[in-house]
Amino acid sequence: MIDRTVASPAIGRVVATELKPSTPHQFHFWTGLETAIGIGAIVRVGGTGQGDGGRVVFGVVTDGFAYSDLASPLHDVAGADGDPVRAADAPTVRQEIRLWTAAVLRQEPAEPLQPVPLAQVFLATDTDIARALRMDAYLHSAQPTAVPIGLYSAGGLEAPVYLDADFLLGPEAAHLNLSGVSGLATKTSAVEFLLASIFRHFPAHRGRVAAVCFNVKGSDLCFLDQPGALDDEDRRRYARLDVPAEPFGDVRYFAPFKSDGVNLNTLRTHPDLVGNVEPLVWGLPEVLDFAEVLLNRDDIDAKADAFIDFLSDRVLGREFEDGFGHRHRVQSFADLDALFRAIFDGVELTGRGDMWRTHHIATIRKVRNRLSNVSTRCKGLVADDGPSSDLPWGRFEDRAVYVIDIANVDPLGQDLVFARVVSKLREHLERRDLGVDTVVVFVDELNKYAPGEGPETYVKKMLLDISERGRYLGLVLFGAEQFRSQVHRRVVGNAGTQIFGRMDADELATPGYQVLSPATKVKLATLPAGELMVRHPHFTQPIFVRFPRPAVLRGRDGIARFPPAADLPFEDAVVRLMLRIDRGIAPNRVKDLIGGRTPEDVRAAVAAVRRTRPADALAFLRRALGDRVAADAPREREAVPPLSPIGDDPY
Amino acid sequence: MGDAWLGALYSAGAVPASHVPPGSPGRADLEEVAGAEAVEDADLATYPVTPDSAGPRVATFLDGVQYWKVIGYDGVVPIVRAHLAAAARRRGADRRLRTTAEAGRALLVTALGLVRPGVRAALEASGLALVDIPGDEAGQPGRALEAARGAVERARVELERSLGERVAAALAPDEWLVVDGLLSESAVLAGHPRALGVIKSHGAQYFSGAELERALTLTQGRRTSVFRPRGRARHEVYSWYLRLWPWEGNDLLYGLIRVEARAHPDTVVAASATAGWLARERAPLATPDTRWDRLLYPIWDVEQYLKARTPRELRPAPGSRLPKAAS
Repeated sequence: MIDRTVASPAIGRVVATELKPSTPHQFHFWTGLETAIGIGAIVRVGGTGQGDGGRVVFGVVTDGFAYSDLASPLHDVAGADGDPVRAADAPTVRQEIRLWTAAVLRQEPAEPLQPVPLAQVFLATDTDIARALRMDAYLHSAQPTAVPIGLYSAGGLEAPVYLDADFLLGPEAAHLNLSGVSGLATKTSAVEFLLASIFRHFPAHRGRVAAVCFNVKGSDLCFLDQPGALDDEDRRRYARLDVPAEPFGDVRYFAPFKSDGVNLNTLRTHPDLVGNVEPLVWGLPEVLDFAEVLLNRDDIDAKADAFIDFLSDRVLGREFEDGFGHRHRVQSFADLDALFRAIFDGVELTGRGDMWRTHHIATIRKVRNRLSNVSTRCKGLVADDGPSSDLPWGRFEDRAVYVIDIANVDPLGQDLVFARVVSKLREHLERRDLGVDTVVVFVDELNKYAPGEGPETYVKKMLLDISERGRYLGLVLFGAEQFRSQVHRRVVGNAGTQIFGRMDADELATPGYQVLSPATKVKLATLPAGELMVRHPHFTQPIFVRFPRPAVLRGRDGIARFPPAADLPFEDAVVRLMLRIDRGIAPNRVKDLIGGRTPEDVRAAVAAVRRTRPADALAFLRRALGDRVAADAPREREAVPPLSPIGDDPY
Repeated sequence: MGDAWLGALYSAGAVPASHVPPGSPGRADLEEVAGAEAVEDADLATYPVTPDSAGPRVATFLDGVQYWKVIGYDGVVPIVRAHLAAAARRRGADRRLRTTAEAGRALLVTALGLVRPGVRAALEASGLALVDIPGDEAGQPGRALEAARGAVERARVELERSLGERVAAALAPDEWLVVDGLLSESAVLAGHPRALGVIKSHGAQYFSGAELERALTLTQGRRTSVFRPRGRARHEVYSWYLRLWPWEGNDLLYGLIRVEARAHPDTVVAASATAGWLARERAPLATPDTRWDRLLYPIWDVEQYLKARTPRELRPAPGSRLPKAAS
């Protein structure tokens, strides 16, 4: 690396013709044939006091041209007698030119804004880069807010490029959007590096910061606390950017159970790692608050909404009398189902017709159908009964990463997790009691969750809400997708910082990329892994940067090094859960306790132990299970009459 | 001092003018009846050139330009400003041309004896070299311009000669020098073992009858016997004709060049190989120059270099000569 802070000799000169004039926003310059200049290089014009009129202009190269003095291709053919081999043997190589087009990044002085002078062109130095990108304002201020995003490099020069935290994480602007083709754009790696950079450089006066990452595919984010393979070049880049080349120090994992309710539904189940994976289990209260997410707008109307509100306000968690002489305290799906059965039985036995407390019996049946469907489709995430296990709301740690693994969760469950987590983050940030002041929420696959077209989903509404109002709260969205043009315009439009990795050529042909020159598009379509194009409010033109590989274990490598454990039989899985709570417990004693018990009872009891964390976990489990009673024959579940056909529904 | 002297010139009574005579950038193609002395063969013969002759690894090409225009009249006496330049560009192993030497002069040409004392004083105060043309050649404006043209051309030949001799003295042992025009203008160049002159205008004819026909109807890729030019040549050289492009369907002189080299037996021995090298120089084509059939690309490249550095005000303006409005 050459740290160039001293001006080098001129590498080119601005030229202007009537057809290609210099303007205040663009200029052209030529260089020698052997030049370090390329698309994306930052140059300085003037500053020598010779021919520049005291003006200094910084520009970024957006296009390049090469041509010779050949008047017509036919003349080359004639000169070689039509033989390409002979053409290459010509004693003299024709005169050639390397002509470059650059877009103006900054002019000094800014006023009066004038065309770029016909002066000498220099490769930008470190100092020039800071001035060109207007980074000097937040890099050297009394309270610096600079966050390194990568290294700009050209012609042997390598200079750190910084984002302004006030414009990346609010309050001035916020949000980050990453686009690029899968596998080549290194979007996840970029976010991992940027999070590490934010954690290292987040301004002290801005308080505490944490990240919530939704792992929506494979094992991408499953090993953020494990060191990855770095070479010397990576370490040098980390040092240059002043970011520690080490994995995240504080990572908490959350994953729902599988449908058996005891094995975690994540790829991070290797015995060495599963210790810090917390189950994500929600009960009826957590779900009912977000019933809107789960219930299809098209077939839930105002009457059903009203009934759900009635359940939330009047029934949930209260002593409730059903009007038929039974008292209920609904705290779980099982309790709710008992209430529904009591209502249906009561209405039928008393012959009160089709109404119960102003709610039509068909509406009640419909809501029951949908809610029972939730606990079926999201089994493992939504518990029929028993307490919930949730993120540590109010106790978020500074510089901690909370990974929520929903990669293998039903789409309905993913929607629920996303909506609830984001809503809770917003609630706590509004009350300033989350534990941190700023939260970065990373969501991949925005093409799926916030598509530009398609129905208005709750998740899309939540993403729009973060995009448009999150910066005032400290709720920042880092979104990634393959096709930016197919993500909701307001989601990408509100992202103050935009990052592009290797792009698909068809995507680059869409109108959103018209502002880019053909050469920049070609560079984007061929970007190597680890190189990105960055747009940031302070940068008037896109800038190309290179970032080191993340210091964490990549998902694929993590799976190889820490292969997921096979699903355990029910009893063994329960033992493992209990051992996580108290390593001193004898496995056989747990098995003795749960032997002959129904899985539902065991799950509820273990959940209670997990939630309470008692000193004597085994004793608590024994009490939670209650006295052993002779097992009855399984009670046949009373089926709810299906609402068929749906089209006959009077509502 | 810039062009402040122009103000003094016009203040002294000279009337401003801005006229570039047609053909002023080019050289005079003097018609000349010359003779030749046989060297290689008693009767002029033709030989094929050595095919794909590699030529020297390093070669320097030298050319000069002249630009002049009438900048004023004192009465009917034209006052001419001229720019002369010459450059040598070396071609090395990378086959690219780079300037290694150049020279230039700015001249004022007029009949000093015929201009008013104040105008003369202004010209003398200009700081530019003054060239006087005899009063008897400047009585009529047309004759005066012809005399000025001759003076400018002589100065340009002298500039090329001096630069050529300087470059020749510094040539590396394996380096050749190719000059555009006559080698015989300079004793140093005419006697240099690795200097060639390439003449593409054929005002002077050295043969007659069957030999002339043989010389001018050379087929592509052939040369004539080596001969010793007579007449205008000031220093002894050997010479031969070489056809670069087939003339059939064009003109007798199409693609025909004459080469001058040192008057030495080695020149005769190497003539076919040297001609083969020069034949290879026809590519790349020196287009869009209209003389491309006889103009070697490196020579044209030197011209382009010099043209790019010529003061803009001396180059023919592309616009019309309509009176300037509101001037």
